[in-house]
Amino acid sequence: MMATLEVTELRKQFAIGRPAIDGVSFSVPAGEIVVLLGPSGCGKTTTLRCVAGLEHPTGGEISISGKVVSSPERGVLVPPRSRDLGMVFQSYAVWPHMTVRQNVVYPLKHRNISRADAGRKVEEALALVGLSEYGDRPVVALSGGQMQRVALARSMVYRPQLLLLDEPLSNLDAKLRLRLRDDLRVILKQTGMTALYVTHDQAEAVVLGDRIGVMRDGKLLQMDSPDAIYNRPADLFVANFTGATNELAGTLVACNGRYGVVDFGDGRRGEVALFHALAPDEKVRVALRPENIAIGRPDGANTFSAKVLDRRYQGTQTAYGIELFGKRLEAIELGTAARHQVGVEAPVSLPRECLWAYRDRGPVSHE
Amino acid sequence: MHGQADRRSEVTRGASDGARRRLYTGLWVGALLAILAFLVIYPVIMLLLGALTDTNPVVDGLARSLSHLSVANFLTVLANPNVGEALLNTLIACGGGTAIAVAIGLFFSWIVVRTNTPFKGFIAAASILPLFAPPLVAGVAWAILGSPKTGLINTMFKWMGSDFRVDLYSMWGLVFVFGIYYAPYVYMFTSSALRNMDPSLEEAAEISGASAFSTLFTVTFPLIMPAIVSGMLLSFIVMLGIYGIPAVLGAPTNLNVLTTYIFKLTNWSPPLYNTAAAVAIILMVVTGLLVYLQQRVLSGRSYTTVAGKAFRPRSLDLGPWRWLTFAIGILYLLVVVVLPSLALIVAAFRKFMFIRDVASLFDMRQYSLTHFESIFDNPLTMRSIYNAVEVGVITAVVGGALAFAIGYTIHRTRVAGRGAIDLISTLPVAIPGLVVGVAYLWAWIGIPGGLYGTIWILALAFIARFMPDTVKALSTSFLQIHRELEEAAWVCGKGMLGTIRTIVLPLASPGVLAAMTLLFVLAIRELGSSLFLYTSNTMVMSVLLLDYYEGGNIGKTAAFSLVQTVLLGVLIGGANWLSRGAAQGNVARTG
Repeated sequence: MMATLEVTELRKQFAIGRPAIDGVSFSVPAGEIVVLLGPSGCGKTTTLRCVAGLEHPTGGEISISGKVVSSPERGVLVPPRSRDLGMVFQSYAVWPHMTVRQNVVYPLKHRNISRADAGRKVEEALALVGLSEYGDRPVVALSGGQMQRVALARSMVYRPQLLLLDEPLSNLDAKLRLRLRDDLRVILKQTGMTALYVTHDQAEAVVLGDRIGVMRDGKLLQMDSPDAIYNRPADLFVANFTGATNELAGTLVACNGRYGVVDFGDGRRGEVALFHALAPDEKVRVALRPENIAIGRPDGANTFSAKVLDRRYQGTQTAYGIELFGKRLEAIELGTAARHQVGVEAPVSLPRECLWAYRDRGPVSHE
Repeated sequence: MHGQADRRSEVTRGASDGARRRLYTGLWVGALLAILAFLVIYPVIMLLLGALTDTNPVVDGLARSLSHLSVANFLTVLANPNVGEALLNTLIACGGGTAIAVAIGLFFSWIVVRTNTPFKGFIAAASILPLFAPPLVAGVAWAILGSPKTGLINTMFKWMGSDFRVDLYSMWGLVFVFGIYYAPYVYMFTSSALRNMDPSLEEAAEISGASAFSTLFTVTFPLIMPAIVSGMLLSFIVMLGIYGIPAVLGAPTNLNVLTTYIFKLTNWSPPLYNTAAAVAIILMVVTGLLVYLQQRVLSGRSYTTVAGKAFRPRSLDLGPWRWLTFAIGILYLLVVVVLPSLALIVAAFRKFMFIRDVASLFDMRQYSLTHFESIFDNPLTMRSIYNAVEVGVITAVVGGALAFAIGYTIHRTRVAGRGAIDLISTLPVAIPGLVVGVAYLWAWIGIPGGLYGTIWILALAFIARFMPDTVKALSTSFLQIHRELEEAAWVCGKGMLGTIRTIVLPLASPGVLAAMTLLFVLAIRELGSSLFLYTSNTMVMSVLLLDYYEGGNIGKTAAFSLVQTVLLGVLIGGANWLSRGAAQGNVARTG
């Protein structure tokens, strides 16, 4: 029953402006949860809505379990109701004029399912999302988190081939968001759903996704396992978006396979990791996570002297601003003790596998 | 020692200041309540008393009339089969009209908000035009078009060789004209509800497997049901109070509704003022019940479906069908705006209304300015325009100032008694214009040397009638001024009145001006309440038009209708320009 989603060279051009989706290709194998991650306006929601059939792509092909549902070139466009999908919306979209049960049974009414069967399926779905006792309540009497559970039950009650989730947690308050996020993964995995999930929250993406696709300006930059996205980002944007917010500029002077040596100016050199083939003498930008900067621990070859500019105690961690190579970097040190004083010179070590060098393509904006 | 004495005198002064302020606020609230009682409560009480006696206040004097109070009089009226028939006709006409209005209004709001019909902005703007046509003018236009013998439509059918004939001098005609003219009330409510609806609610239904059609009926319409019901009730309420349309279309076949029946009663000789009062009370009770129902619907089950983020309204791609919806839009426009306007123009410029065939319709020798010359030869015409403008100015200035005082007192102060002010000033919502007229008639006709027969009785009746709408329009204009702007002026040492003069009024002036212009427009087109209050000296435009119509000269009637329509068009355009669109909804509210 479970099916794969295949998206090939998808394009969507609105009446004005640059394309909202600019040649996106990816696939979601049966039973997998794929998360599309990116800042607002990157085209992730439009991609999802194209898969749903709520938005009409201007190019490319979408097929669900081998059946082409959208292909403007061939004039194919299957309406949403015939795609056998489930969808959870950001605004819940539960119908306020119905009870919980009426909401959940609605999709079954548009399918040939006997009343008894439908009743059983509704109970199952409500049990799955933990709302068994709420069936007869009007949905307006529920909290935001419960409404989203109703929406989830409604989208899964007919076991669609593919479940689409459009920022389902972003309207919830922080605490509820964390709980529902973990529950959601359990529910999806328990039912073996194939799912495409859209979010701008990296933490959500990492917890939920079997694979994450990072999007920007209508393009899919990288699609990989969460681990690869975090440890081997494909470019500077992905690195920055997933938290490697420090950046150093330099020139590659030597390379040796997976590692190279970068001159950060004034003869200060350090070893860096290379994910792409780069030639010596190329200008590079090096991305670095704040939590990978170890202050006060001379360790390995990449040890430099830096000055502590400021200190912000945050309870379980402390954030420092340090000056390295004439540039201000952010550093985070875990633990409840703030160990370094403002104004001191301290050695910092930067492990070479945490310094990722990318070709310098000029100034890039990350917002 | 000295300082202590100073402080003590300051304390006593503070106390006397407080007492003086309490005295002033007491006087202020008392004055407002007295004015409102004079404008609203006294006439309504007189109406009630009138319904309960069986004497004529003019012939027998007020004192004698009041000594004959008995519920029996009212019950006699209720038992009168003519009253029952008028009530039944009213309910059928308004019910049928409302059904058509809902169908048209809902369809148009769906076209405009939810589809890609071409030029839908134009359709949207045009479909609320009927709101601006005075009902009497609309009635006259449709009489010219749809009269069974001489109507233009039937002339056309004859020319085309069809045996089909329409007869708008009937219940069907009344229902039809009511329906097409009051559809915009439903449209205004439902279109804004549709626009504010989260589109993902409909998308969720489509994803769930529902077709576009079944989504419409299982999700969209149920969700905007409160808006549909309140638009429906409002159009019903407005139809209940309309005099012009049933007066024109019902008269030839003696088809009475409550409004026309009330007027007939006062035109009998001798006039049956007490029966009229009793029937007016029936009309008021029905209206009051519906207004109450509408308020309940509006305040009760409202589904807030706004998701907190701005959404693009969904636009359904109709494909080639969008030309069909476009054609329907144009057809509506043709029926509601173009045809009646053409009918009026033809009738106004044609020497004789008898049209033998279509060729004669386009024969230019049949057209002239005769009717315009003859209406302006009549000294009453200019006088009625002058009177209407005078009444309009008094109503706008006095009514505007009073509404500002009331609105400010209700919304921006915490004085005791403002609840009562609020209640009494909104009471006229439930009183149709015609009933206001009868009530004022009862209130003043028996008092010799009083208001009756002056311009002021008309103006006061209009002020009372349009009070709720004016207070509402004005209140929105100064509720937008943040309280802190006033508080800042107080802190700077300005007093309450000084703050109103230097801060509130200048900032609210566009809104105040717009509300006053609106009041002016409403006053000069009002017919229902004028009917009972004019005398030959205080004849106003809308009444003179009715006079021309009842005089039987359709050419003069049409010519004067055009004069009025153009005048109103200019005024409404001006009001709209002043308020940048805000006034539109309010012309609508009062019919």
